[in-house]
Amino acid sequence: MASRIPPLLEPYLSLPPETSLILLTSVLGASTNWLVLRFLHSILAPSEGNPDDDTKVVFVSFMRDLVFWKENGRRIGLDLDKLAARKKFAFVDGLSGLFLPKQAADSRVAPPQTILKSPELQNVASQILGGISQIKAAASGKVLLVLDQLDLLLATAGDKSDVVALGEMLLELRESVHATVMTVSADYPLVSEQRTSLESNHAEFLMGIAHQADSIMSLRLLDTGTARDVSGVIRVTQGSHAVSESDGSSKRTEEKEVLYFVGGDGGVKVFERGQ
Amino acid sequence: MAFRKRNVGIAQPGSSPSSIEITEKKSIPGVRPSPLDGRPTTSTGTHSLDNLLAGHAGLVLGTSLLIEESGTTDFGGALLRYYAAEGILQGHQIHVFGMNEAWGRELPGLGSAESSRSAKKETAADDKMKIAWRYERLGEFGVGARDRTVAPPSATSSGSAGTFCHDFDLSKRLTLPSTTQMQFVPIITRPNLEFATLDSNKSPFNTFINHIANYLSNSSSNTIHRVIIPTILSPALYPPHASRPEIVLQFFHALRGLLRKYPTQLTVITTLPLTLYPRSSGLTRWMELLSDGVLELSPFPSTSVATKSAPGVTTVQEEPPQGMLNVHRLPIFHERGGGGGEASGFGNDLAFTLSRRKGLVIRPFSLPPVEGDSEAQQGGLESDHGKATKVDIEF
Repeated sequence: MASRIPPLLEPYLSLPPETSLILLTSVLGASTNWLVLRFLHSILAPSEGNPDDDTKVVFVSFMRDLVFWKENGRRIGLDLDKLAARKKFAFVDGLSGLFLPKQAADSRVAPPQTILKSPELQNVASQILGGISQIKAAASGKVLLVLDQLDLLLATAGDKSDVVALGEMLLELRESVHATVMTVSADYPLVSEQRTSLESNHAEFLMGIAHQADSIMSLRLLDTGTARDVSGVIRVTQGSHAVSESDGSSKRTEEKEVLYFVGGDGGVKVFERGQ
Repeated sequence: MAFRKRNVGIAQPGSSPSSIEITEKKSIPGVRPSPLDGRPTTSTGTHSLDNLLAGHAGLVLGTSLLIEESGTTDFGGALLRYYAAEGILQGHQIHVFGMNEAWGRELPGLGSAESSRSAKKETAADDKMKIAWRYERLGEFGVGARDRTVAPPSATSSGSAGTFCHDFDLSKRLTLPSTTQMQFVPIITRPNLEFATLDSNKSPFNTFINHIANYLSNSSSNTIHRVIIPTILSPALYPPHASRPEIVLQFFHALRGLLRKYPTQLTVITTLPLTLYPRSSGLTRWMELLSDGVLELSPFPSTSVATKSAPGVTTVQEEPPQGMLNVHRLPIFHERGGGGGEASGFGNDLAFTLSRRKGLVIRPFSLPPVEGDSEAQQGGLESDHGKATKVDIEF
């Protein structure tokens, strides 16, 4: 039971309203993987019992392969294979083939996933859009797009990297889905000094996303060192748009800072400071 | 019938997948399942480093380590040599990037203590409780990096499993059994024609990625590959354009892709000179994010070591530490979110010592007792109510 959604985070992990963008930030040592999995779980798991709920997920991951997500999803009772078979889940793999030589990347492509072969933005966009339209064609319903570490494209593009083009691609993708969840690294060296183009591009991209986002969940390590029973701190802040909308959605944008602990069995505990 | 069933249950305690792994992997030397979740792991050739890796008691196959080192010392290089030597003894395939055969001739040889100690262990084992015989070869699981005197797993304790991590002696040299087991891939800084200009858009890493990918796709699934990348981006070895983010980060990403594609065959250890690429730079941070484990070695300046080992302190058997070790990220552990791995040294103050026989030993850092401390204590006691206390305080 501990593996399910932590009660404190439940209001933040439900399906976001239409056109919204949710940003999850991570640092070295405090990864967003467990949070992404809980997001997937809270969105996809209810549909298993209820055939009317037709929310679907297109998942793009640039740092991790499907095996990792399947393995850790299974720990919290999320069967991605089954969901993929029911056309509720599509995976776009941005790790296995992006920079590997062709002959090495060719073999064994499992049906539920698309493998990105080229880091060109146009190609990436068309592949992801292809995945979205495929899953839309199967059945009608809301599509949630999850982009895991899109910032990798920016870092590996070097001189050719174009923050504006990447932002445009993101807008294009967001147009065709219900809502978007993104994870981006927010390590101090990447955003603070901005001496190299790598750093300034990253900072520009992250700030741009953060301003567009409706809600931001940032993970970081404890400021005071490490503790045996705390993995890190999660801070939830609402985006700049959410302030103007004073309607019923205020519950999900309540700002909060809580601690979390990921256990050895994959279960997550979330608690207030001092509890 | 019921009796039989219960018997089976006792023979396979814990999760069933781990026991399946044991029977499967027994055929591959130098690989054993992790005591945590049964993933196949292999040894880094350094006992205390194996114990540091978040309770897996070895480097999980399909993961990479990035060892960063500041200053001009080469402790990271020593770790790489142990890693290579361990691979040679286990019959693993080794790929070294950017070094020539001379590097391979400097691998440490087997320590002479290995054979005598295992004989001694056999007698000692009789006195031990027999309950956890299955876990005995896992050595000091749970002990973390505290102490390695508990003795490494020996070949005698579980018969067919073989030694997981050997003891090496830095003063000896390992004789390479065959040249094909160790591949040296040079960095091509110049095209074949000496006078042709350097193509700064061509990645010097491409040949290496192709090399590993070829070897992996052509070898059987029982071959374990160890990839060694010493002092990546050092200007002594690499052309200047190699440190451009697009080139080096694409290489790290491709390596990560390969590691995930062959999760039971490949491990990678890379060392990075931190003085040239400080941790405060975005490039280094991206390299860390793309690696599974990140360790930082910060050696002490040599003077402080000299003063510590002053004569007179005979009670201190431990050698003075030669530097601090910081754990920034551990394979599997941090990818899942971090936490729950009490056995890991994450966040502790760890120090390391490199010695000829014991290799690199990592243990929690503690300051040695100050010399002449007893006098100061006595003085403090005598003048408990006196003025001397004030003087003591006001230093």
